[in-house]
Amino acid sequence: MAIIETKELTKYYSSRSQKVLALSGFDLTLEQGTIFGLLGPNGAGKTTLIKILLSITFPTSGQAYVLGRDLSDFTMKKKIGYLPENHRYPGYLTGGEVLKFFGRLSGLDGAGLDKKIDELLEMMKLTKWKKVKVKTYSKGMMQRLGLAQAMINDPELIFLDEPTDGVDPIGRKEIRDILLELKARSKTIFLNSHLLSEVELITDRVAILNKGTLLREGTVQELTEKKEEYRLTIDPPDQSFSMPESYNGVTISPVKDAFNVKASDTAQLNLFIDYLRQNNVLISGIIKEKSTLEDMFISLIEQAEKGSPS
Amino acid sequence: MKNIYLMTLFTLKEALARKVFLFFIGISALAIIITALIFSLVDTQSIITGIETKTGNDFLIRNIVSTLEIMIISPLAGLGLLLAIFSSSSFVPNMLEKGNIDLLLSKPVSRQQLLWGKYAGGLLVVLLNIGFLVTGIWLIIALKFSFWDPAFLWSILIITFTFAVLYSLIVLCGVLTRGSMLGMMLAYFIFLVLSPILNLAYGRADIFFKSDIVRNIVKGIYYFIPKTSELMGGMISDLATGKGISDFQPLISSFLFLVLMMILSIITFRKKDF
Repeated sequence: MAIIETKELTKYYSSRSQKVLALSGFDLTLEQGTIFGLLGPNGAGKTTLIKILLSITFPTSGQAYVLGRDLSDFTMKKKIGYLPENHRYPGYLTGGEVLKFFGRLSGLDGAGLDKKIDELLEMMKLTKWKKVKVKTYSKGMMQRLGLAQAMINDPELIFLDEPTDGVDPIGRKEIRDILLELKARSKTIFLNSHLLSEVELITDRVAILNKGTLLREGTVQELTEKKEEYRLTIDPPDQSFSMPESYNGVTISPVKDAFNVKASDTAQLNLFIDYLRQNNVLISGIIKEKSTLEDMFISLIEQAEKGSPS
Repeated sequence: MKNIYLMTLFTLKEALARKVFLFFIGISALAIIITALIFSLVDTQSIITGIETKTGNDFLIRNIVSTLEIMIISPLAGLGLLLAIFSSSSFVPNMLEKGNIDLLLSKPVSRQQLLWGKYAGGLLVVLLNIGFLVTGIWLIIALKFSFWDPAFLWSILIITFTFAVLYSLIVLCGVLTRGSMLGMMLAYFIFLVLSPILNLAYGRADIFFKSDIVRNIVKGIYYFIPKTSELMGGMISDLATGKGISDFQPLISSFLFLVLMMILSIITFRKKDF
């Protein structure tokens, strides 16, 4: 079952003088048990999309279904958790009271809720802060409390908007581990993050959004793979053989202890390998080149910026 | 209902945390203590005995007691209402703050329930405070005069109702502007200026205004605007003296204003992007 489905989702924000396009014809289908990363520069429409899916903001046009239900059905939120960016809890509440309040609003109560609060505080390493007012919490502690709040109702779908914002590297690793554990329990996680290296580590699928438009979507593998570009290593380098800069349409450029080979297709690549073998070159490795998610993201956004009228 | 109850308690907690509630209770307690001190200096027993000997009934005592109650409570209730408007005007804007409203709307709670919860919470804060103040004053006077007439306690409901009407306007302004200033200013303007003036103008419209059009406009505004002046004046006085409500018009038209403000608030809130 698709846990999230959007069709031609469009959102314009109207100000006094102009209409601003926040989301343009966004289509997405997300299956259960996926960790999905939504990437994009500031103002790309990432938060708007989450807010629409949670009926915090309303779409201008298009349809969306969450957990198989129409967005107007607010009862579905019993199975949803949300950690907003820059969330604020009343400073006069303690960590335990924050969780109790949002737990009760999610329909929980009694001893079950108290037990869940203790479990989550333990998981987030906030047990000793349970009775301390949140106004004294650090940014990292607030994020961990926010994550506990998003998980209080044992949701099937969790939206996390910059969950590691302000969290130290060890805390980030702990949050990543929690997310992976949730995934193992078939929970679906919808993640907005600027930390691309982090997204790369945990997400199954990624979408890149710019100015409200979906630029690319796929697995991290699909998005970072460089088409027909290989890293070739020869062992040991034969002093008598001089590697050409190009051969039969294949371009070769030296990189550290190896060569970067660009071929238009696999047949062309094999012709080049045959040529090397004919010259008694020992090939010790040939692997398909990959870029990092960050490289790919920057290049995609730059291309989009060049292509769009400014 | 459970969600409304939760939001109501949450608002009460917010009022307590912001010391508004405690300040309010403190002022009320001070007023009660001062009243008690003043009455401790007066020998009410000899007054009662004297009246009973002369008239042979408690009619005069009733009049004295209710007049005293009204004399004390009228300025205090007015001050209490000013404080209540000030303290409650930020309840809705606080709820609508970025980072807070997102969280509330992500829970299985309807927008209508959120707003009703905030509204009920504000009313509860004022009801508790006014209840404390009025009951305190009533107890002191009843004890001193040994005259236990609960009619004065009706003023708790009338004062809270007056606040409920003004608070509905504050809620609407809060939803529209996400700020507290406009609602607070309008509520003060109605309570302190517009309602007393309209009350006066309506009663003497035939003398003040020669033109039928102007007269009808003034009367139209009079009927639309909440009758805080009549509610806090004549109605409390009539109920305290046991006369009952002679004219329900101020009550009904103010209630209709409240209903209209809440309907507009809910419609606006349900459509608003956050």
